[in-house]
This record gives sequence, C-alpha cells and structure tokens, in this order.
Amino acid sequence: MGVRVGPPGKRDEGWFTSLYAAEYAHIVRYGLRRLADSDASAELAQEVFVVAWRRRGEVPDRSLPWLYGVARRLLANQWRSRRAAPDLLPIAHADLTRVADPSGADRTLGVADVRAALATLNDLDQEILRLVGWEELTVAEAAQVLGCTRATAAVRLHRARRRLAEAMSDPPARFRRPMLATTREDL
Amino acid sequence: MDGAEQTRTLLGPADPARTIVVAPPPVPARELIERAGATSPGTGHRRVRPTRRLVLTAGTLAVAAGAVAVLRPFDERTPDDRGGPGGAVGTLLVPVAYQFDADPPAAGPQLRTLASKIKDTEYDHRSGRYTYHHTKVWGDPVMSSPDDRYHVAFAGESKVWQAADGTGSQSNTQLEPQYPDEASRDYWQRKLAGPAVADTAAMIPLPPMELTPPPADPSQLRERLKVQYGAGAASKAVGTLYARYVVPRATRAAILRVLADVPGFRWRGRVTDRAGRTGVAVTVDEREHDQQSLLIFDPKTGELLAHELLTLTPVRISAYQLILDTTWTDRIG
Repeated sequence: MGVRVGPPGKRDEGWFTSLYAAEYAHIVRYGLRRLADSDASAELAQEVFVVAWRRRGEVPDRSLPWLYGVARRLLANQWRSRRAAPDLLPIAHADLTRVADPSGADRTLGVADVRAALATLNDLDQEILRLVGWEELTVAEAAQVLGCTRATAAVRLHRARRRLAEAMSDPPARFRRPMLATTREDL
Repeated sequence: MDGAEQTRTLLGPADPARTIVVAPPPVPARELIERAGATSPGTGHRRVRPTRRLVLTAGTLAVAAGAVAVLRPFDERTPDDRGGPGGAVGTLLVPVAYQFDADPPAAGPQLRTLASKIKDTEYDHRSGRYTYHHTKVWGDPVMSSPDDRYHVAFAGESKVWQAADGTGSQSNTQLEPQYPDEASRDYWQRKLAGPAVADTAAMIPLPPMELTPPPADPSQLRERLKVQYGAGAASKAVGTLYARYVVPRATRAAILRVLADVPGFRWRGRVTDRAGRTGVAVTVDEREHDQQSLLIFDPKTGELLAHELLTLTPVRISAYQLILDTTWTDRIG
C-alpha cells in the first residue's frame, strides 16, 4: 500500500478551508475518544490543521488518515509534556474508574464492559481497535496512521481483538492498570 | 463479516464520541493559516536546527554466513532468503547462543570496561539533515493460535529518515513469516494460505513530532532510560533510543555506565547476532513476566546492534529488533 502525496498545485486557502470544514469534527472526535477534555480536543484539532497547512504539499488526497497520524503524534507529545497535569487523561482510564466502582451501578452496561476491557490492553492494541472500531478506518488506513504495513496492521488487529475478547470474558482479573508496553515501531 | 467489521460492531456502541455533536470550529481557517505562518516558515522551508539534524538511518541487511549460528532455515533456504513472492515458508528462530550460558557474572564491571574503551563509529564523523535508521524487527505483534500454543510473526524492515522536527519519510517492508518453534511452523503453514509475499509500502511522509536527543548527563540519562522501573524497562528504553536517534560516542559510553549501575544485568560475553555480527551481550531476567531481555552491543563502538525478548519457560524468542544501519544523511532514499 502506498501513500499518494497530493499535487502541491491547488493547495491554496480555498483547499484548506474546505479541508478544515470537512474534517474538523472528525479530528475533534478523535481527541474526545482519547482525552477526557473537550476543550483539549478542540485545541488538538486546531493544532492538527496548523500542521496540515504548514505541510500542505504532503497531505494526501485521502487526507483523514494522514490527519489522524498528525493528531496521534501531537497527542503523544501533549501527554508527555503534561504528564503531571490531571486534566488530560486517557478516556478509557476515566471509564475504568467508573466501572470498577464497587456499587456495581454500571454492571448491566455492556458498553461499560467493552470500555473497561479496552482499558486493560496496551496502547498499540487500543489504538488499532479505536482506529478501526471508532474512526472506522480500513486496515490499510489504520496502517498509515500507525506507520506500519497493512499486513502488520491486520495481524495487530487480529491479536488486539483476541486480547479484548479475553479481557471481556474474564473481567475482574483483567481490569487492572495496563502494563508498560514494549514499543518497537515508534519510529 | 471480516475482522474490521466485527470490530466496528463490537466497539461502535462503546464509542464515547458517537453521539456527541461537535461545535463548529471556534476559529476560522484563515486564523490557523496565520498561526502557522507565525510559528513556522511555509511549505518548502522546513524548520530545522541549523547544524545537527536528526535522521533515521538505514543500511544494508548484512546477513552474513555467521547468521547460520542463530538462524536455522528449512526447506533448503539460505538465512538471507527474505520470502519474496513465491518464496518458501519462513524461518525457525532459535535463541542467540551465549558465551556465558550458565551462571553468568554481573554485567557491571564489563560494561564499565567497555564504556572506557569504545571508539568512534562511522557516523561520528558525519553530519546531515536527517537521521537514518534501518531496522529489522520480528514479534510485534505475534499472532497466536486460539489455544495460545502456536505462534507466528512476519519479519519486517523499516527505513526511516527523520529531521530534527520529526518530519521525514519511512518505508516498511514485510518479509517472510518466522516461527519460534517447529510446532508453530507446522500449525501456521497449514493456516497461512499461499506463499509468503513481500509487502512493500511506498514512502510514508512523517508528520512532525517532538524529538529530544538522548543526553550524556548521567542523571538525565537515567531518567530517560527509565532506570527507576528496573533493568527490564531500561533495556527496552535502550532499544527504543538506539532505533530512533543517532547516539554520539560520549552518550554511548554514558549509556553503558548507567546500565552498569542498574542491578539485574548479567554478562553473556561474545555472541553472534541474527545479522551475523559479533557483539557482546547482557541480559536481564524479569521472572514476574516470564521474560528475558537481551541487549547486544558492538564491542568496538558500543553501538546497540540488537535487542531481543525471550520467554523463559519455555526458552523461546518472542521478539527481536536488529539495528542494521544508523547514520546522518542529507538525502532521503
């Protein structure tokens, strides 16, 4: 799978305004799914489009996976720089707290179970599942966001789905803080 | 219904943003354009540091005859057979043979000695706009059978050129399947339909990201290498660091000295890595995770050649990363 880099010709303000109007909400939702803060998600989306304008010669015609890739990188940096601040939390962790509440108020919610199970997976597993399940990318597009081949993304999705199923089938033991993940493809 | 559709069916209802109505953008497109102009030059004038710029280095896959020591091919394949179209079925992986296999000594004294005698490497005398890294990895992810007994992963090569602001290009090539044991090979040969096919991606443009080259200062380096989380975390951090940055000689020596002070590393002596290169190795056992982490260093330059993860019971490869080439360059491709 290749990434076709769009022609630099028509990348004018009109093109950018259309891109911004069409994709802004998608990027905000990407942020909302990973942050517990709507303002931070809106700021993230603006930063993504600042980068898109700056690098407009490289934005592919099918721009959304590329924009998600920028968002993913910015988010990683944001988390690193604000690690001490409590206002940016992985949304899955926020849900984990809710589900783990001994009151059991959410026990009947399958949605909560899915989110809590998701929170037990490592970041790479979570991200491939979110990109395909929530951003509704194809496996090839998710591979572009993650910077790997389509085949690698397909295998990663397969394994992440299996781990998610395991986590859902054994909830109490698995609802714990995720382990420090080994990263090998953060190049 | 394929895997992607099943994933959407399962996760869709749990999407926290599914029903959220996103407010219109608070600022017009024009303002973002001005913001971009105020913080960075426009397209074609990338913001880069004036002299030293990070780049990921690639190199040639130096699979030498010595690789036979650690790679056991089958079906008459040579170790460097990459399983291209119509290729054979893959490679069995065996653990790297250690010089000190039983009762290895603590690694501290040997690492300090190594730190004191390493020399310049080729890239210490080069400069360029990009760092370049050529790596080969296997094991992330590993695909397992439903009963978790049989495992397979496709080896893959990455070449990454990256400037100081994180921009650049990356190409990934999927290679042949490799197996940690014969039973896994037999199982997955039946499951994986058709011959292995090399899957080469075109150049992927890399968006900007924050890159902070590793410090030579010991206290900062200890933090960067996550020493506070133990030797296992430190070994993983070393692997990540060498795969992303061009590490100068002083920092290479500092890394070895930092590792020398981390309890848990054992000295494994001379080894041959999966690319056939001679190195010196240290390992750390993480019994709680049933895992051993292996680092192989170049005995002359102190560069990291390889990082591997093994399960301890049974002893079996679970992941490897070979750093085949690292340098500075002004050119992509």
